Amino acid sequence: MADKPEPELRADVASAEGKTRGGMSRREFARRAALASAVASIAPATAVRARTPTFGQSTTQDPPPPAAAAAQNPMPGAPKLSAESQSEADARFQAILVLYGARFSAEQKNDLHRLCAVVQPALDHIRAYKVENGDGPALYLKPQYEREKKPKVAAAPAKPAPASNGPGKKP
Amino acid sequence: MAGEELFYLPVTDLARRIEAKTLSPVDLTQLYLSRSEKFGPRLNAYARLTPEIALAQAAAAEKEIRRGHYRGPLHGIPYAAKDLLAVKGVPVTWGAKPYADQVFDYDATVIEHLNRAGAVMIGKASMIELAGGMNYRFASASLQGEAKNPWNTNCWTCGSSSGSGAIVAAGLAAFAIGTETWGSIICPSAFCGVSGMRPTYGRVSKYGAMALAPSMDKIGPMARSAEDCARIFAVLAGHDPKDHSTLAVDKAAFTYSPSMELKARSLTVGWLTNAWKSVDPGVAKIADATEKSLHKIFPTVHRAALPQGPWDDVGNVIMGTEGAASFRELIRSGKVSELADPLGQINGYVNEQISAADYWQASKIREQLQGKMADLFDSFDVIATVSQPLPATSLDFNLETGLSFPDPLGAIGNLCGLPALSVPCGFTDKHLPVGVQFVARAGDDFGVIQAARTFQGHSDWHKRHPKLI
Repeated sequence: MADKPEPELRADVASAEGKTRGGMSRREFARRAALASAVASIAPATAVRARTPTFGQSTTQDPPPPAAAAAQNPMPGAPKLSAESQSEADARFQAILVLYGARFSAEQKNDLHRLCAVVQPALDHIRAYKVENGDGPALYLKPQYEREKKPKVAAAPAKPAPASNGPGKKP
Repeated sequence: MAGEELFYLPVTDLARRIEAKTLSPVDLTQLYLSRSEKFGPRLNAYARLTPEIALAQAAAAEKEIRRGHYRGPLHGIPYAAKDLLAVKGVPVTWGAKPYADQVFDYDATVIEHLNRAGAVMIGKASMIELAGGMNYRFASASLQGEAKNPWNTNCWTCGSSSGSGAIVAAGLAAFAIGTETWGSIICPSAFCGVSGMRPTYGRVSKYGAMALAPSMDKIGPMARSAEDCARIFAVLAGHDPKDHSTLAVDKAAFTYSPSMELKARSLTVGWLTNAWKSVDPGVAKIADATEKSLHKIFPTVHRAALPQGPWDDVGNVIMGTEGAASFRELIRSGKVSELADPLGQINGYVNEQISAADYWQASKIREQLQGKMADLFDSFDVIATVSQPLPATSLDFNLETGLSFPDPLGAIGNLCGLPALSVPCGFTDKHLPVGVQFVARAGDDFGVIQAARTFQGHSDWHKRHPKLI
């Protein structure tokens, strides 16, 4: 994709790209994105209800309650989000463009922008779910006490690293 | 018996004949290979056939059995392994172009277990690219093309164990190995009218399997009956020091014999009222009939409800984040653009942006969810519902918009690592199979086997098979 000529961009995408190309530093971008994210995360009450998928990740949504549909949404197939959530989704899209923008066609950029919005309701929903500071996550370190000490072997000449670690293998 | 029926015999019947030396593993393997060569390409069922391996393993099995060394119910039985399991020296594509030439020099632990049991690998089953880890919009999201449903080749098998479903349904092998992160065994089993089991997380080693979302990935059998699944699962299960997510030796191991059911408990079944938001009318009719038959079969059946919560969202965040991490190099290098599916080419970039704080929050909710499900299983031994709310979809169906409905049971089952078994429970007016799934508390794999086996003892849906032309 990166070698393809850059097609004409949709107005809102082109504008966003222009800002990035126009000199907004990554640091500045990160600051803005973090701000947008922080605003969204403290405003769960305005989160829209959206539905997520079964196979793979979220896609289609139920219509949001009218009061929650704060932002107009120009992207077909994207959920209507609160202003804060839309900002966060837009920031996510910008972050992708900053890192990888040259790889995508205009159509892919539009689709990415939509997908950045599609993932937002799931994040809003889980952030709105009450958990306490001391609640444990369903993740545990399992110390490797079962592993026996490997016998020492004489140093062998280094081999070139394999191309892949292999499925299920640790690096 | 050399007719069509032979290809559809369950493992238990084939094993009896092989042990009695009335059926030759070499003959059986050749028959399945020849059928697979004929129908496999029409269904896009295989990533590749492995006739050299199959015939060598079959010959070795035959020799051993002739000498009186019978290893057990999978000895000499041909099967297919999903093409994300490492088999020494055999290309393993993960269903995706960027990995088309990948070869490993070791066997996955499940392949080792099957080798030890004397099973005969006849091929690698096709699959959705990266098991759907980058998401996908169309059934064609596979290096092997869209897997066609043997019941209607204009329909899809579902994914991601697409080839495994097609192979078992079409009688191209006696069983297949599938994997599930979220729905990838249960859905193809339902769409293809076969019996498929998702074991408790941690009972089957994932060593040598492609990692998608390591905290959710599971490996399980797809076969002709719940009893077949039990016998295959008994071979697959076990602690593996090479996979630290496997359970301790005593909790991972599984043994099975039908006599276990004679002294088994009387099951209390919960029929779920809120597993699906809406159900296809044809499937709804079958669901009603299935609920009625459960009342006749099991002494105690009550209506049950799943706890309410953002379970789909939690599942999506965890699966998306872990998937992006598993395929980070693919995403960062840009090679993800080589995937076949337009959604798969870009969705990883979005998931890569999900924050660690959100992942951690989802993991905390996951912990709470486990407690809620434990409470539910205080009242029920197994819960049940139709495996999917609709029958097999057409090959050109837009899955992103048409097959994306809430699936709280799938989310809960996979987030909590619960065992599930889907078996056929009817056919729509268009002759497409519908499945019922039984789900039990973590570790109670025998519970889902007992429930599904009891159901199959009172029905013959699992004995029907498609007419291939």
